[in-house]
Formats: sequence, structure tokens, C-alpha cells
Amino acid sequence: MKNKKKVEDIPFEEYLRKLEKIVHKLEEGELTLDESVKVYEEGMNISKICLDKLNKTKKKIEQLVIESEENYSTKAFSEKEGEDTINEL
Amino acid sequence: MNNYIESKIYTVSKLNKYIKKLFEDDFNLQDIWILGEISNFKLHSSGHMYFVIKDKESQIKCVMFRGNNYNLRFMPGDGMKVKARGDVSVYEKRGEYQLYVKEIIEAGKGELYLAFERLKVKLKDEGLFSEEIKKKLPLIPQNIAVLTSPTGAAIRDVISISLRRFPNLSILVVPSLVQGASAAQEIAKKIDFLNKYFKYLDFIIIGRGGGSLEELWAFNEEILARSIYNSKIPIVSAVGHETDFTISDFVADLRVPTPSAAAEMTIPDKNNLINNLSLLKSKITRAVKRNFELKTENLNSISRSLKYQGPENKINQYYQYIDEFSTHLNSSIKHKVELYEERLKKDSQRLDSLSPWAVIERGYSICRKMPGREIIKKLEQIEVGTKIEVIISDGKILSKVEKKEAVSN
Repeated sequence: MKNKKKVEDIPFEEYLRKLEKIVHKLEEGELTLDESVKVYEEGMNISKICLDKLNKTKKKIEQLVIESEENYSTKAFSEKEGEDTINEL
Repeated sequence: MNNYIESKIYTVSKLNKYIKKLFEDDFNLQDIWILGEISNFKLHSSGHMYFVIKDKESQIKCVMFRGNNYNLRFMPGDGMKVKARGDVSVYEKRGEYQLYVKEIIEAGKGELYLAFERLKVKLKDEGLFSEEIKKKLPLIPQNIAVLTSPTGAAIRDVISISLRRFPNLSILVVPSLVQGASAAQEIAKKIDFLNKYFKYLDFIIIGRGGGSLEELWAFNEEILARSIYNSKIPIVSAVGHETDFTISDFVADLRVPTPSAAAEMTIPDKNNLINNLSLLKSKITRAVKRNFELKTENLNSISRSLKYQGPENKINQYYQYIDEFSTHLNSSIKHKVELYEERLKKDSQRLDSLSPWAVIERGYSICRKMPGREIIKKLEQIEVGTKIEVIISDGKILSKVEKKEAVSN
């Protein structure tokens, strides 16, 4: 058995390709009923995964503050503060 | 008066042709270099370029035909300081003199250009630009970094365009100098830093808004090129310039002309993606539904043909066969019976005519010797005194022989 990759590790585009393949398979119309029900369920599942992937990240605009070679922090991005930072460098 | 007029009148075209010849015969006006700033630049749809080159006090019209400009290494533009080589001549139609430009280079960039070309060749030979090593950007980036000046329009544009396209994106702004002597080193260091502490980034956009070649120079330096090459995180080079390339552009995994273009090209439009998904979903549903309908239709037609070929039909066929057979059987038996009946009738008639009773009816009688009831046919069967039985039509007579008398023939 191959090690199954985690859903998070498989990129969105791969799922999209799978979904397109499923559409193609179904449109060919050569599947048995059992198969097409299975494939249909797989398709619905994948489209849900895709949607989840699209909604997974949270909006976040942060600014990196490098304090030393090993230390850094992040803070909310603001243009003016950015200006200060650049002046410090 | 008359004479004066006749000898001094030229047509306009003759005059312009004459002046043009003067220009073209003067070696001081042929194949010369002039230095100045481009202004009023226009690229005509024919491919010819029209502009003026000016200095503080004066200007000259210039034209650079397509045949001369097609391999220019940069797109000339207003305000650009250039050296232009060409011939001064006259455009007779308008009576204007102009410089017919054959070659144009950016003034004062000679050294930089040479350095650029040398580095480009060197890095290319080392394989830093090769297509095979370019990393692919994910379709759905979730965490990106933008390494640029935190104050310019560039970062504002990247953020607003990115969020417009994909509202739930995580953007890490990495402020950096983008011009000046230490800019290249700073950008390079920060790329290294991100690779060390922010491995999860989907890619890094490095760049700045448009500027002169000197202002963009950081992106042509070897230290930055090497850092881009070594980066495990894909790098998008977004240095604001339309036509020419920087070294960063060549090394980066993706090259885009401006920071806003970087956002447009690397951040997917979420709405589009969602629409696409639901389109695929409805395609799947439709295909499955059609598949079901098709199968149902198949089933119906199979069951129809089953009725024709199946046991039900066979049984019906047998029934009919049996019916036909039994009818046939009936009629043939009937025929036989009739035949036998007929024969029986005839036989019994024949039998009737042969029956002894019929003879007896006519007056004959049968004599039988008692007690054996042996039919008497000859005299020698009996003696006088033998008891005999005489059968007649309505009964029997028991009698005794009294005399035997032969009949002579």
C-alpha cells in the first residue's frame, strides 16, 4: 500500500484535475450505475474539499520585523510604521 | 521685373528637393551622434517611431523606422536621455528637417549595460536561468510574502489587488530598501531569512515600482541573483519596467512586469474559482443524471426485447403449437376412426352374407351328430340309431337315424 497523502498536502490544482477527470468519465457515459454513483460521490466530496481549501486561510496582513539574525516578530501592517522601520535600518 | 520673376520662381517641391540635397551632401550632417532627452515619443502602428530629442534650449524632430528599431533593447520613452546616431535630412512633404535615427542607446548607461551583459552571460552559463529549475507556483497561494519598500504605491497595489482577488489571503510584508548601494544585499539577506524561518510561504514577490536603470540596479546584482537561485521558496520578480529585463527576472521562477501585475498573475480570482467549481459540480450532476436516464432507457428496451425473446413468449409459442398440434391430432384420429368404422361396417356386411343363419333362413338346416355336435357331412359319420340334432331357422329338432341311403350321382 502506498502511503496516502493527507488532504492538506495535496494541492488544490490536483483536486481540480481530478474533478475534471470525473466530469470527463461521467460524460463518456460508459460507467455502470454502481460506478457512476461512486464517481459522483467522489466528485461531490472533492468539490467540497476544493471549497474548503479556498476558505481555509484567514485574511492576515502582517509586517515582518527582523530584530537580529535569529530573532524576528510580526505586527499588523501599516504604511507609516513601515516607514519608521525602513528608517531604522 | 518680368525677368526677375521668371528666373527666381521655384515650385515648393523643387525648392525642398534642393534643400534636401544640400543636407545630404554635407558630411557634417551624415552619420552623426546627438545627445539629448527624448520627448513627445510616439510609436506608430506601422512600427515607426516618432519623437523629438531636445536639450535645454533646442529640439530636433526624429524618426526611427521600423527596420532600424525592431531590435532595440529597450523601449524609448519621454524623458529618457539618449545618444542617437543618424542622418539629418529633409522631409520634403512638410519642408521639415529631421534626424533619421539608425541607432539609439541610453546615454550614460554604457558601463552599466556592459556590466549587465557580462553578468547575464556568466549566470546563464552557470545555469541559473534554466527553465528546468524554475519552481511552479501553487494555484491557490495561502501565505505569500511581499519583499519591497513598505511605503511606495507598489505594496499598496499588491495588497489591494491581492485581497480583491482572494479576500482571505495571508500576506507578510517584508520591508526592504529597493534602491541604493546596499539594496541588493538587503533584499538577498531577507530572502535567505524567509527561507530559514518562513519555509511555509507559497512564494515571495520581490520588486518595486518603475524607475530608471540606476534605480532598478539592485535587481541586476549578482548577490541578489544568487539568493533568488538558492531560494527554496519560489520567487516572483516584479520590477517595474515594461520592456527590458533585469537579472532578477531571468533567475526568478516567474517574471512579471510590475508589482500589481504580480498580484494579478499569481493570486487567483476566488469568485472565478468558485464559479468554476460549481460549474464542474453541475456538470457532474447532469452527467450522472443522464447516465441514469440512459441506463433506464436501456433497461426498458432490454425488457421489451426480453418479452419478445424471453420464456413468456416461448411458452405462448408452445401453447399455440400445442393447440395447433392437438387440432391436427384430433382431426387425424377422427379420420382414422371414421376409416375404421367404415371398414367395420363393410366387414360386418360381408360377414352377414356369409353367416350360416342366412342360409338356414332360406330353408337349409344343419345336422350335428350327438352328443359331440359334430357337423354331419357324409353318411359314414353316422349309423342307424345315431342321435342327431337338426338346427333350423327358429329352433332345433332332436331325432334318431332310421335309415341310411346313399345318393348316386
